[in-house]
Amino acid sequence: MKADVLDPLIHVPARLRIVATLAALPDGDALSFTRLQKMIGLTPGNLITHLRKLEEASYLSTEKTGNGVASRTTVALSNRGRAALESYTAALRDLLAGL
Amino acid sequence: MDKTATGSEGGEFDPRVAAMLLEETSRSARRQFEFPSPLLSLIQAGAVLAAYGAIWLSVRGQDPYSGPSLTAVAALYGFVAVAAIAATWEGRRATAGVSRRPARQQWSRAIPLAAAFLAVYVLMGALRYDGFSTAIVYGILPAAGPLIVVGAAMAGYAAARENWQDLGVAVAVVAVGAGSAFAGPSGVWGVAGVSLFAVLICRAIAQAWLRRA
Repeated sequence: MKADVLDPLIHVPARLRIVATLAALPDGDALSFTRLQKMIGLTPGNLITHLRKLEEASYLSTEKTGNGVASRTTVALSNRGRAALESYTAALRDLLAGL
Repeated sequence: MDKTATGSEGGEFDPRVAAMLLEETSRSARRQFEFPSPLLSLIQAGAVLAAYGAIWLSVRGQDPYSGPSLTAVAALYGFVAVAAIAATWEGRRATAGVSRRPARQQWSRAIPLAAAFLAVYVLMGALRYDGFSTAIVYGILPAAGPLIVVGAAMAGYAAARENWQDLGVAVAVVAVGAGSAFAGPSGVWGVAGVSLFAVLICRAIAQAWLRRA
């Protein structure tokens, strides 16, 4: 099975779950880091690592507001990230149809 | 199996497992962000039936029509408040941690709805001032009017967001409002209450079916 046609940035369990979760929100909406972590079930450190990789590829954007204990980080899927997930889903479907 | 623990960089991540994980995650996320939920639709259906039913019990058999009792009106607003509180609670659950674009803020929906409601009460006052009968001013208009104008406002909002399910419900609400007016000043409360109950039950069933699809 040629899994190398799948976007390596998304074809990782944790990142696939992050992108799929954010894609369930309407375009332009953002999700707090806390709720995303609760929904995905990763440790904060792990989640940050995966978010950073996705952000470097411009698949999502993060925004931090406030300072100290009142600070809040939100994460939103970019248009590029949404398109990448659509391409990934199509590639996955083609791959599985060929089995 | 902890699917997030396998193939940390995707090397051993089986595409079949990926497809299942994608499907499960998308479905779970949609359910958690979903508003309104089937449960809320059921609560609203019960509240609407009780609210309109309370008024109908108060006015049935009146000849000439003299309008609902204050107790029945208080019951109506009580049940409307129950539905509103349930919707607020559900909305907070679904949108916890979600930041919306300014155009999608709650007030963008609340303003047309509030204006539509207010317009009905102003129209009631104007008709009363112009000498229209109690049957029109305190019967047909307050029962059917809010459904027509609020339904129309909801339909416009849903169409703008391309939310076809909400658009269908909103158009059905408008149809209930217009059609129930044929039942007369007493009957309109009963017909509108039962019809609206049926619409909301259908919405709950459709939502539950879509969840499973």
